[in-house]
Amino acid sequence: MGTIRNEIRRLRFEHGEMTQQQLAEKIRVTRQTVNAIEQGKYSPSLEAAFRIAAVFGEPLESVFHYSNEE
Amino acid sequence: MSFREKGAWISLLSMAGIYGVYFWSVIKAGPQAGGFHFGKLLGTIIVLVIVQVVLNVAVAIYAPSEAKAPPDERDKLIELRAMRVAYAGLATGIAFACFFGAFNPPIIFNTNSLLFILVTAEIMRCACQIIQYRRGA
Repeated sequence: MGTIRNEIRRLRFEHGEMTQQQLAEKIRVTRQTVNAIEQGKYSPSLEAAFRIAAVFGEPLESVFHYSNEE
Repeated sequence: MSFREKGAWISLLSMAGIYGVYFWSVIKAGPQAGGFHFGKLLGTIIVLVIVQVVLNVAVAIYAPSEAKAPPDERDKLIELRAMRVAYAGLATGIAFACFFGAFNPPIIFNTNSLLFILVTAEIMRCACQIIQYRRGA
């Protein structure tokens, strides 16, 4: 099974040190969900992933990376 | 800790504690006590509802914005997984109750064993939610 990594932490930092709470409010999830996504513990739905990418103004593949390696 | 995880903790601890007292009193009374402990059960349910309402309101006052927010996709997924586990527990428990019911145990045993299975399934649901919230998803 592959893994999904993401650049959310870096992107938050580059966007005025946006907090997890601020991002959570923009994509309409809880702060705990943003934290779980950031740590790779939870894979968001496609819709949430697109919302996150839209917040940072980046294409989806710049925010999330899929890897087949264990 | 999220608002919904706190809710799961409240449900788990209140049910384990309050129903624990109820089942302990039923066991102590023994099968000769006669009849279904309706008054005791009614009292248990009333206490449980009061405790849960008070604690949930207290948590909501502490974090009103979280309390107003609808469950997000992760909350819903966790709830669904927990329901699946609880259903498996409930179905297994009912199967056992049907099997032992064939031996004509006292009615007090049947009613309380079904209630025990229901409460156990609900506790399993809350525990499963908490484990998933602790793990991250």
